[in-house]
Amino acid sequence: MKKINVLGLITFFVLVLVNLPFLVIIPSSFTAAGYLAFPPEGFSWQWYEMILDRPEFIDSLWFSLKLATVTAILATFLGTLAAFALSKYKFRGSGIINALMLSPLTVPSLIIGISALLFFTRIGIAGTFTGLLLAHMLISIPYVVRLVLTGLSTFDYTLEKAGYMLGAHPFRVFWDITLPLLRPAIVSGMIFSFLTSFDNVTVSLFLVAPDTTTLPLAIFTYMQETLDPLVASISSVVILLSLVFIVLLEKVYGLERLFGLNSQSH
Amino acid sequence: MSKRLSVTLLTAPAMILLLGVFILPMLMMLLLSFQDENQAFSLHNYSLFIQDPYYLEILWRTIRVSLWTVLVSLLLGFPVAMYMAQATGKMRGIVTMLILAPHLISVVIRNFGWVVVLGEKGWINETLISLGLIDQPLRLLYNELGIVIGLTDSFIAYMVLAIATSLYAIDPSLNKAASILGASRVRTFFSVTLPLCLPGIIAGTTLVFSLSMSAFVTPALMGGTSVKVLPVIAYEQIMATLNWPFGAALAFLLLGSTILLVTLYTKLIETKRYKEVFAS
Repeated sequence: MKKINVLGLITFFVLVLVNLPFLVIIPSSFTAAGYLAFPPEGFSWQWYEMILDRPEFIDSLWFSLKLATVTAILATFLGTLAAFALSKYKFRGSGIINALMLSPLTVPSLIIGISALLFFTRIGIAGTFTGLLLAHMLISIPYVVRLVLTGLSTFDYTLEKAGYMLGAHPFRVFWDITLPLLRPAIVSGMIFSFLTSFDNVTVSLFLVAPDTTTLPLAIFTYMQETLDPLVASISSVVILLSLVFIVLLEKVYGLERLFGLNSQSH
Repeated sequence: MSKRLSVTLLTAPAMILLLGVFILPMLMMLLLSFQDENQAFSLHNYSLFIQDPYYLEILWRTIRVSLWTVLVSLLLGFPVAMYMAQATGKMRGIVTMLILAPHLISVVIRNFGWVVVLGEKGWINETLISLGLIDQPLRLLYNELGIVIGLTDSFIAYMVLAIATSLYAIDPSLNKAASILGASRVRTFFSVTLPLCLPGIIAGTTLVFSLSMSAFVTPALMGGTSVKVLPVIAYEQIMATLNWPFGAALAFLLLGSTILLVTLYTKLIETKRYKEVFAS
């Protein structure tokens, strides 16, 4: 029994450590003081009201939400199509295509960011929404492909066949049989793409324009100059938003299964 | 529709994106890294790096903090994985959730939390001073210690999950067999559990090492301006100095050294394992 207790103790310690950032940020955001302190002094909403006076944060929040939503939809669409081809058909080069689809995961984000900047500057879309969108789709697609492939690996194709035999149109079969069965994998691909895009810093860093920036980058830039409770209140908003999607992801798919797929986040 | 047409139509959109936004730009970047001031092909950028002790020190620092991160994540992560392997359904689920969920929230925000905890007027320093244990605040941030703390927090989940997965796969009857044969718990751990979860340890350590080597945000926020690592220097060359060829070369040097070290490490471990197998 003693051994288990020691392990439990260390586990508890580690769990506190990895969650400590949130345990201090949220209380700090309600401080009544004019400076960053933990434990916070007094209670007030002033730092949340202060966000409203900072258009750069409001604008970047909307920008991030828009970017993450469009990324999630497009990446899921492209990734799902590709996963279908890879799973349904045996064809020459499928191994290479599969490896290529997953390859953005194995290269550091820093390199993806720099190379995208070089290329986008040449074709004139550096600093645009399109450029950021393409890069975010690139880093989201591997997750979608793997999630949908996993979903398809246990997919029973006889159900599709039954649909055809009963005279259904291919689109009807897809819409009424295939899609509903794969919904958990596709939906979690979409949620995961959203989070990947919404939280990304390293790739975005190279691709944003000064007037259109994402929220994590706005916080990053602000943090390098000033550290005040304003960062805490904005961070709390992001934590809350992310939490909604994480709980959703856990409900739809299960975090542990998901993390087996996730090998890089920076 | 023919099979070939279907495959092409289904994979084309993602493949075009991949080739256009990833493969082609990477090749362009590689070519650029071999360009000198006159846009002629040369090894100038790479030799500049190798000949300058300043850059070599930065490379060594990047490797050093990554190794520390691996060590700390292994020491803290292994017991957690062991605990998860021994825990029952519900408890295992809770631990998994609590260790994984934070990693889906932006690294900038996690780092900010650590600044609140570790700063000169942070929680730890204020507590220690009010307890009378120290009179001067400890320097826990804006140095290599700060980077290691931030990176460990960022990547420990990968270590835990890699080891836990390999522990889940161990047949519990093996432990029973060992104890029936009279092995102590410690002996069972070293002769049964540890060798069997070695693949998980190798996976976890290489993953955490590679991620630490290329991490940019945490060293930038928790390392400060004087303690720089290779990704931060590469970023500065691109965005501040605008020396793109050199920045590109730095990025590839980073990637190359990471791959080299990881390959050496896995080779070393595997050779050792083979020796052990053949010796016994």
